[in-house]
Amino acid sequence: MLVVAEPEQLPVLQARAGEPAAWDTLFRRYQLPLYVYVFELVHDEQASLDLVQETFIAAVRHIGGLRDEARFGSWLFGISHQKCIQQWRKQNREELLRDEIADTPDEFDDGPDDLLIRREQETEFMNLLNQLLLPQRSVLLLHFVEDFSLEEIARITETQIGTVKSRLHYAKKSLRKLLEKKK
Amino acid sequence: MKTPREILFQRHQTAESKLDTVRCEVLSAEFVRGGRRVADTASLPSLLWRELVWPCRRIWTGLAAAWIFILAVNFSIEDKSEIVAQKSSTPEMIMTWQQQERVLAELIGPNEARAAVSPKPFSPRPSSERFFETLVV
Repeated sequence: MLVVAEPEQLPVLQARAGEPAAWDTLFRRYQLPLYVYVFELVHDEQASLDLVQETFIAAVRHIGGLRDEARFGSWLFGISHQKCIQQWRKQNREELLRDEIADTPDEFDDGPDDLLIRREQETEFMNLLNQLLLPQRSVLLLHFVEDFSLEEIARITETQIGTVKSRLHYAKKSLRKLLEKKK
Repeated sequence: MKTPREILFQRHQTAESKLDTVRCEVLSAEFVRGGRRVADTASLPSLLWRELVWPCRRIWTGLAAAWIFILAVNFSIEDKSEIVAQKSSTPEMIMTWQQQERVLAELIGPNEARAAVSPKPFSPRPSSERFFETLVV
């Protein structure tokens, strides 16, 4: 069972002051969630490790740019998201970042755990996740991995909140549909 | 039954040891032993660049572009006025201007002399005195 620390318990202020022990705590807390997010987007183990490393270095060097300590997590994911975009650009995969969203759903109240998967469906779930378009997958991963709010996901991915809402809605909808088909 | 989060984390649990290595490498590279970050003691220009310029780089770029545009417009206007000044300061132009000035001075001269005569100051008197004045005339 994964224990997620509350944002206020994280030693962001100490890290800002340049304490290595504080940075160690922060990196321990975020290293696996960041890796999961990056790996599921780039699908390359070495590239993912490199991107996590680059994210950590950038975080230490640019902590002065963080305005709100409570948003450290989304700020860190924002850095890694930008690194992923740079990686896609290197691979000429910019066209994959574009998607067409028809409309924005009126209501959105789904939690990250409302989708429960049976043991025999796990492999299928991963395959289905990888079939999603990159923007939808990115939004869905941020929602699943860290349970970020729509506002935070919008900030991380530098998109409009309505776009995030619709991407998340349609990604979950298509995932549910595909899982139901496979039953 | 598992949540997507549990599935994802379980799937990548084996990467933890490699991530520990990455974390240790970053910490040892970015921090001096037992102390603070090396970059924190860096010079003022680099600190200003990191804290002031870099976070708002797009805004600074926009401002710089605007200033370059304004300066370019300003220089192009100045160049034109210089050309006009250069053209107008030819010897022929100066001669013509001096001639016109002389003619103007001649024309204005008599008027200036007339204007130099001071007008009679007006002093109000009773109308009875004015009657005697008329008779004497």
